[in-house]
Amino acid sequence: MLRYALRRLLGVIPTLFAIITLSFFVIRIAPGGPFDDEQTLPPEIKANLEAAYGLDQPLHVQYGRYLAGLVRGDFGPSFKFKDFSVTELIAQGLPISLTLGLSAILVALLIGVPLGSLAALRQNRPTDHSIMAVAVLGIALPSFVVGPLLALTFGLHLRWLPVAGWESGQWRYLVLPVITLALPVIAYIARLTRGSLLEVLRSNFVRTARSKGLSERAILWRHALRPAMLPVVSYLGPATAFVITGSLVVETVFGLPGSGRYLVQGAINRDYTLVMGMIVVYGSVTLLFNLIADLLYGWLDPRVRYD
Amino acid sequence: MNRTLLSIRELSVRYSTPDGIVPAVNDFSLDLQAGECVGIVGESGAGKSQSFLAVMGLLPGNATVGGTATLGSESLLGCGIDALNRLRGARIAMIFQDPMTSLTPHMRVGEQIAESLVLHKGLSQTDAMARALDLLQQVQVTDARRRLHQYPHELSGGMRQRVMIAVALACDPEVLIADEPTTALDVTVQAQILSLLAELKRERRMGLVLVTHDLGVVAGVADRVLVMYGGRVVESGAVGEMLVSPRHPYTRALLRSMPRIDDDRTAPLTAIPGQPPSPAKLPSGCAFHPRCAGADAACRDQLPAMLEGRTRAACHHPEGAS
Repeated sequence: MLRYALRRLLGVIPTLFAIITLSFFVIRIAPGGPFDDEQTLPPEIKANLEAAYGLDQPLHVQYGRYLAGLVRGDFGPSFKFKDFSVTELIAQGLPISLTLGLSAILVALLIGVPLGSLAALRQNRPTDHSIMAVAVLGIALPSFVVGPLLALTFGLHLRWLPVAGWESGQWRYLVLPVITLALPVIAYIARLTRGSLLEVLRSNFVRTARSKGLSERAILWRHALRPAMLPVVSYLGPATAFVITGSLVVETVFGLPGSGRYLVQGAINRDYTLVMGMIVVYGSVTLLFNLIADLLYGWLDPRVRYD
Repeated sequence: MNRTLLSIRELSVRYSTPDGIVPAVNDFSLDLQAGECVGIVGESGAGKSQSFLAVMGLLPGNATVGGTATLGSESLLGCGIDALNRLRGARIAMIFQDPMTSLTPHMRVGEQIAESLVLHKGLSQTDAMARALDLLQQVQVTDARRRLHQYPHELSGGMRQRVMIAVALACDPEVLIADEPTTALDVTVQAQILSLLAELKRERRMGLVLVTHDLGVVAGVADRVLVMYGGRVVESGAVGEMLVSPRHPYTRALLRSMPRIDDDRTAPLTAIPGQPPSPAKLPSGCAFHPRCAGADAACRDQLPAMLEGRTRAACHHPEGAS
């Protein structure tokens, strides 16, 4: 198991390398550069700037330098946030985005799985129908609608929680963003859980468990729930990536200084190093969570062998 | 010395489907004695598994069960899930057709056997595991001590069916229902499993119900045979009579369709013409009449009554009646 995990971890490197290479060149294909602003710079100044950042070198030399920097853990300087290195920018924003995203996933699991199980156990009864109706709504409503509505209700009218903003260490500022981010994931996990649990409850080994005289509760906990979690776990890898990378809308709505905005601003500004830095970080996070999902898979189902 | 363990009276199973009510089992009755093995024979859809899944309370939600089934003095049908759960696994147990999928994949074999011992006998986990090892040895699982800690997928089909038997026998049930226990297994393994079941039945004086579509299986193990067709019992009797001189044309046709080792190898086997009826579209009168050479107007219109004789046969024109 440990050897397998290490081997998979090493296997991530080529994938990451492919992501970096592809993104590096694709970004350069986009027209414009970091110093093409509204007001055109005098050509000499622009040339000086480009020389200072190494942009006057042939592309493959730049690529080589970038890789060499990455290996040393250096993402390079930001072209637009002039006094900051990309590492500093990411170090500022990423903890907030990660906290937000991981809390949302945790909340989604803790609410989605019980809701889906309840719906499955009450199949085709009012409880099931209402849970599934809400779930469809949760998937269909975009977070830029849900977010402001929550802020309006709980921030402005009820005054239970801050409308927006961030003070470090203050969890109250995270509650509404986390809920907003978690809602579609809760809905999706509930639907997955319901479907897969229904299937497992019809399986032969659950019939065997019933023939032993076990109570429905014991059957659910000991026999049915673990195999029913397999589709949820496979969804968890991409979902975590979606939640961490897709937190941009939520961060914007609630004015959280997360790292989502750097990706967008970086792309618009042709801030090559910043975009690349974000891609490397998000790529690693995505790969990491897919790996964790794979390892969980083996725990849930011993037929998935690691050797 | 005969003691009736399981008594089923006028059992019926009906499914409500989008196309209406579908009868799967009609008027099924059986008395099972201690130490007796009854074989239930029939084609797919004849209602043989359905009858016993109904007795065990294992049918899906859209099935309605009628009639009565009692285990000693306890009622199995309509007694409520808690009362039923005190009986199944403890006093009546079942093993299933497909050993590959009938064990929980993420639980070690030992835990799955120990589970019902903890539940019904109140054993500690340690004692239950010790007993599970014992049981694995009784069902002749080789290298039992190691198997105890293996997962089902690490065992062969025959081994898994032995484990299923150990699970079923854990609490010393009075009645064991084996629903096509050997269908999914190799022929040599089939024979081993059957002789194991026969042996366990003898040792424990259990009542054994053997549901199968294979007359050969029944011939070796059963004392009595019930033949089902279209959801009803069409003939029943002692295994000797049933296999040598059955009276119902369906049983006779079944026997003729089986190869025998002492037969003329060049003579073709006689297949039964037509298909077994779907429970949703049962023929009128005797359900077998469209496939029966001797059918007449009475067979089409009237449900035949059970006629006593060498065997009990539900036929208007049973062999050897006149």
